[in-house]
Amino acid sequence: MSSEINCIALIGKQNNPLYIKNFSNTHPDLKYHYIAHTSIDVIEERVSNGPKNLDLYIGLLYAMEDLAVYGYITNTRVKCVVVVSVTDCVIRDADMKLIFQKVHAAYVNQVCNPFYNLDSQKSLTSKAFIRAIDAIGLTKPTRTTLDI
Amino acid sequence: MDFFLIEMVDTICRTASTETDADSEAVFYKLETLGYAVGQRLVERFTKDRPRFADTLDVVKFICKDFWTIMFKKQIDNLKTNHRGVYVLQDNNFRWFMRMSTDIGGADSARKASPYVWFPCGIIRGALANLGVPSVVVAETSNLPQCTFQIKIVQ
Repeated sequence: MSSEINCIALIGKQNNPLYIKNFSNTHPDLKYHYIAHTSIDVIEERVSNGPKNLDLYIGLLYAMEDLAVYGYITNTRVKCVVVVSVTDCVIRDADMKLIFQKVHAAYVNQVCNPFYNLDSQKSLTSKAFIRAIDAIGLTKPTRTTLDI
Repeated sequence: MDFFLIEMVDTICRTASTETDADSEAVFYKLETLGYAVGQRLVERFTKDRPRFADTLDVVKFICKDFWTIMFKKQIDNLKTNHRGVYVLQDNNFRWFMRMSTDIGGADSARKASPYVWFPCGIIRGALANLGVPSVVVAETSNLPQCTFQIKIVQ
């Protein structure tokens, strides 16, 4: 009865892919690349249309047949997309915000590395960052298990 | 932190003079680039929990208040703008300059302090750039410890 994170994707300032990690076996990586790409458009639309909502967490971007896509943007215009498999249990905003906070923290730690060039368009390959994202993606199922 | 800045500027000036007659321009560029990288990372870390910025003025105000408080434990004393992309930030008691003085005082110490002013310029430029506002930052100091930063937004 728990929903699982299928994919965590980080998109840089110039809409270049920074990091995409596929946690599920059901869909190929390419599908998540497409999802992340379309999410960029949805995020930009939400951000430019609603200056009233000044929150970093954007919320549910869109839902597909069995996947729900949530978005988050930082003040430095780095976008984070998390794809969750839709099950019957309700996904709370607070849980998703927590996940995004962790991803943001991992990204900030990565950025503080003086050897990392922020303006380059390359993807992230640092082991510490990859480990942190893996930890977020794999421990999530225990949190939203609802006991009915 | 003041001592660190002083030593860093001195080291770079020393190592640069052994090359060809590279002007002070090259040295200033290096210092500014260092500041740029530092500014980017500082901003990344300190805007983590803030709500989003509404517009460029909001970004500049953040720099004047929160960012300056984080770095120097005080806010900018005076912010002026011509509403066409130029902002002037005035700090009447720049912490990194508070302990600098020379025997002659006045204009001479201001001139000698000019290399030290490029690092903070770079920090401001890096912070603005990472928040999505490309800019050019210059600084001048006429009277230690007062310091004025001029930000020109690139349209």
